[in-house]
Amino acid sequence: MTKDDCYELGHITKTHGIKGELNIYLDVDDSSEYEDMDSVFLEIRGELVPYFIEELQIRINQTIIRFEDIDTFDKAAALIGTKMYLPLDLLPELKGKQFYFHEVIGFQVVDKDTGPLGTVKEFYAMAAQDLMVMSYQGKEVLIPVNDELVLNADKVNKIVNVDLPTGLVDL
Amino acid sequence: MARSLKKGPYIDFRLDNKVTVMNDSGKKSVIKTWSRRSMISPDFVGHTFAVHNGNKFIPVYVTENMVGHKLGEFAPTRNFRGHVAKKDKGKR
Repeated sequence: MTKDDCYELGHITKTHGIKGELNIYLDVDDSSEYEDMDSVFLEIRGELVPYFIEELQIRINQTIIRFEDIDTFDKAAALIGTKMYLPLDLLPELKGKQFYFHEVIGFQVVDKDTGPLGTVKEFYAMAAQDLMVMSYQGKEVLIPVNDELVLNADKVNKIVNVDLPTGLVDL
Repeated sequence: MARSLKKGPYIDFRLDNKVTVMNDSGKKSVIKTWSRRSMISPDFVGHTFAVHNGNKFIPVYVTENMVGHKLGEFAPTRNFRGHVAKKDKGKR
């Protein structure tokens, strides 16, 4: 299992108590979707190592986890800062028009009025809004990701349909 | 010290005029601005602003929850690239 086959679930922030429990940060939209997971991959010296979960408590403001064989404070403390990964095929199913950003990288961007523009290069996650980076005529064009501008993604034809305001591609 | 309530929010008058004209005409085009200090008024909702960050213009689509904030808050001047979006944060 390599990092390319996985997505980053979060990281271990600190120890919790003295019995090997750990406080983790889940970098996901809805942490409750992960209540039933039984193992995660931890990045140990660049390699992904599977760790089996003995107990997982997802609370409102923190998530506590206990791994098998991690039963002392020292063993737990050694894992602080470690990133956690899950295989891509375990991503929760999406409904309707939803899509994951990584799914549409390389897709053609088609504007409702002007037609084909460029291709999706990457996404930037920002505090207030996410930005889609489109390669267009040798330059990068940023497109705010929201329901008004990015209409839907056609995964079969590899197209992202957008409705861009006049002048956005000329910035 | 907070701005006096008597004066009301600061909005660059040229920017305000552009939004008013656009609202009257019903057109939707990107509004370029250097006025990062202008407060986002409810009239701005649904418009896309290109806010200058000192280097380039960052497009900002204004939504209701941005009202009352300054335009500059949404066009970071440093480390703009930030981190690439995580795979599980890409839901729409």
